[in-house]
Amino acid sequence: MSEDSKIFIIKTTANQEKSVSEALARVSKKELLDIRAILSPEELKGYVLVEAPEAGLVDMAIQAIPHARAIIKGSSNIAEIEHFLKPKPVVTGIKEGSIIEVTSGPFKGERARVKRVDEGREEITVELFDAVVPIPITIRGDTVRVLKKEKED
Amino acid sequence: MAEKACRHCLRVLEGLNCPICGTSDLSEEWSGLVIILDPARSEIAKKLGVDIPDKFALKVR
Ligand SMILES: [Zn+2]
Repeated sequence: MSEDSKIFIIKTTANQEKSVSEALARVSKKELLDIRAILSPEELKGYVLVEAPEAGLVDMAIQAIPHARAIIKGSSNIAEIEHFLKPKPVVTGIKEGSIIEVTSGPFKGERARVKRVDEGREEITVELFDAVVPIPITIRGDTVRVLKKEKED
Repeated sequence: MAEKACRHCLRVLEGLNCPICGTSDLSEEWSGLVIILDPARSEIAKKLGVDIPDKFALKVR
């Protein structure tokens, strides 16, 4: 009888990760199952991670949950999923002087040079190349794609 | 009412104040979800420093 936590992966319908997590928490409380934590990282589409000592009870719990499709064979340990607990700031990798392309919003498709990076607020200030007047605009760091990094010298 | 996340402890909640921090510094822009059911035996809870069962955002803007 192992009491150690393992991490099991449940396949879910896309975009139902949160609803599956909530439903699994409800079932676990109601049935007094030994499910210790449920994790749904934003970057992991179509899967939910479950911390429990064994697969059988997780498999049982998901039977009545819509959008929870199946438990993936095998298990992971905490070290393998730990990086999900510390999401990287979205502006990591964007530097002053980088050339970026805006990927959403009113300036979608525009190219710009990064003037300033605000890691705390996850925003960057850029100057659009094609603007008639180069006015700096501040946009969210997750709405751009880096085309060229500043040369390191 | 849409769920919000506390900017201080990342707790996901409804209402105007965080029941633990007491703050009204809440955000509607949060992502990732972790539900801690058994903090005493959860490794994830230990990594996050959580000791009360609850729901938390992984990231709050
Ligand atoms: Zn709080």
